[in-house]
Amino acid sequence: MSKPLSVLEEKRKEAKSRLEKNGYFSDTKIYVGMATCEIAAGSVPVMEVFQNELKNEKNIYISQKGCAGRCNLEPTVEIYQKDKEPVKYIQVTPEKAREIIKKHIKSGKIITEWVGK
Amino acid sequence: MEKQLFTDKFSYVFGDQKFFKKQKRIALKNCGLIDPENIDDYIYAGGYTALAKVLTEMTPEDVVKTVKDSGLRGRGGAGFPTGIKWEATAKQQNDEKFVVCNADEGDPGAFMDRSIIEGDPHSIVEGMAIGAYAVGASKGVVYLRAEYPLAIKRLQKAIEDARKENLLGNNILESNFSFDMEIRLGAGAFVCGEETALMNSIEGKRGMPRTRPPFPAVSGLFAKPTLLNNVETWANISSIIINGAEWFSSIGVDKSKGTKVFALAGKITNTGLAEIPMGMTLREIIYEVGGGIPNGKKFKAVQTGGPSGGCLTESMLDTKIDYESLTKAGSIMGSGGMIIIDETACMVNIAKFFLEFTQSESCGKCVPCREGIKRMLEILTRITDGEGKTGDIEKLEELGNMIKKASLCGLGQSAPNPVLSTIKNFRQEYEEHVEQKMCRSLVCEKLLTYTINDKCIGCSACRRACPAGAIAGLPKEPHTIHQELCIKCGKCYRSCKFHAIDKTSVAKEQK
Repeated sequence: MSKPLSVLEEKRKEAKSRLEKNGYFSDTKIYVGMATCEIAAGSVPVMEVFQNELKNEKNIYISQKGCAGRCNLEPTVEIYQKDKEPVKYIQVTPEKAREIIKKHIKSGKIITEWVGK
Repeated sequence: MEKQLFTDKFSYVFGDQKFFKKQKRIALKNCGLIDPENIDDYIYAGGYTALAKVLTEMTPEDVVKTVKDSGLRGRGGAGFPTGIKWEATAKQQNDEKFVVCNADEGDPGAFMDRSIIEGDPHSIVEGMAIGAYAVGASKGVVYLRAEYPLAIKRLQKAIEDARKENLLGNNILESNFSFDMEIRLGAGAFVCGEETALMNSIEGKRGMPRTRPPFPAVSGLFAKPTLLNNVETWANISSIIINGAEWFSSIGVDKSKGTKVFALAGKITNTGLAEIPMGMTLREIIYEVGGGIPNGKKFKAVQTGGPSGGCLTESMLDTKIDYESLTKAGSIMGSGGMIIIDETACMVNIAKFFLEFTQSESCGKCVPCREGIKRMLEILTRITDGEGKTGDIEKLEELGNMIKKASLCGLGQSAPNPVLSTIKNFRQEYEEHVEQKMCRSLVCEKLLTYTINDKCIGCSACRRACPAGAIAGLPKEPHTIHQELCIKCGKCYRSCKFHAIDKTSVAKEQK
């Protein structure tokens, strides 16, 4: 019987390859807060904007995430880009999301006034 | 881009130096960093390593010893040493044992359990599997309140995904250990967060507490030995196994090890969840992590422990956050609600709010809680209505202390705390309400007086708004309020656009 640790190691490799297939290791990753609190603050339409407007883009991975505990700044969206520091946008609305896609994702310009300090 | 790199690097990922820098995230280590509905994300971030580790290289005794040595204590409120519970359950000889997760989070203003289950549900599955291995249980139950639909959905998905990956079920990870778990939904009773009432509810009985002993470790769910821990406690387990007891006990202070998640609510700039190492002072969490009181208002009190806790004042802000220090200061750690109160709040009214909650949630099984809290609430209502009598405060103290001593379960034993602690720390406010019929914070409606000042231009907005016909005056001339007709509803105050109506509460003698 093989040891549980090595069995898990196998599972981790499988998990990684599944993640890879789903684009997890894309150069741009977008995480939208989707806990009850974030949803109450309006994150569902924000998520829809990212999903709809970027559905034809390759090399972008969009995911939901739980709550990081910043109630008064929600909904929050983090953008991880390869070799760059993560950027957190706060109190994101669908309109802001469209601007973020236009300026940040597509032109690489961070909209500093919407970034959490 | 490697995800593991981000664990515990919240201030790097989220910016927010002030908020995250002083925190230490163990129970919340993945919350906000992984996709809670994707088991691959959890496994890739190092998930289930702790479970595989105990199954590979640790005996159940080793696991119990590790948890015991770590100094972890129950995060649900009472702070009972977790390792002792595990040891007691492991010692029992029985063909069937249970592990239970208490996710019936009912304290007003506390939401860390929801956040953990919604943000990192696999940490609970993994923690409970480890606990089951340690005590020799094969079945787990999560008692989750039905008011958390998203948490239910995510935990259910986590359990199903874990089953598919053979992380639950028979011969987990090809070992000899088998364990499975299910969710039971609570129907919204606060008392079911009490462990014996919770077990009654799972069994299909009325959610009422049983007498202890026997403790759940001896005779718990379906009269079998049962290991029952809170969500946050379970969420700590995998990190303790991976990093060791010594690592965990190096965080925190003397008798309180590790971290505690607090839900910052009320009059504070940064509302939210903060996981801080034990031993931080209240001042640090309120002014540094929490960012202080907004709108230039003055701090008045901090209420910890929800409806079971007490209010602490400015002079106690240097109290360290650990089980013993908070108890000594007159409050409790509780499940981690922290409500910050500023100068605009009336302490008598706050005490009344919490008592209204516990009174309606009392299950009615024992007399002190059922009758006593009701009487206390009646007295408090009388006081805030301006009908307080001399001796009421003493009566509240007497009743409160009696209820604390004589109640059957934690609900009754702690319900008088908000009243007793506010009497202790803000006695003058109570006396003003009772003796002078005055509410200095202008909260208790029946103690207020509305008058019209010389800014009045005679627009008649207030006169039209008044449902009692208590305001008289000709158009374009100053109006007046007939005090004997005024029902103190405040409609005139809200309707006036010229700040011409004063809301005051004056001591009776000065009238």
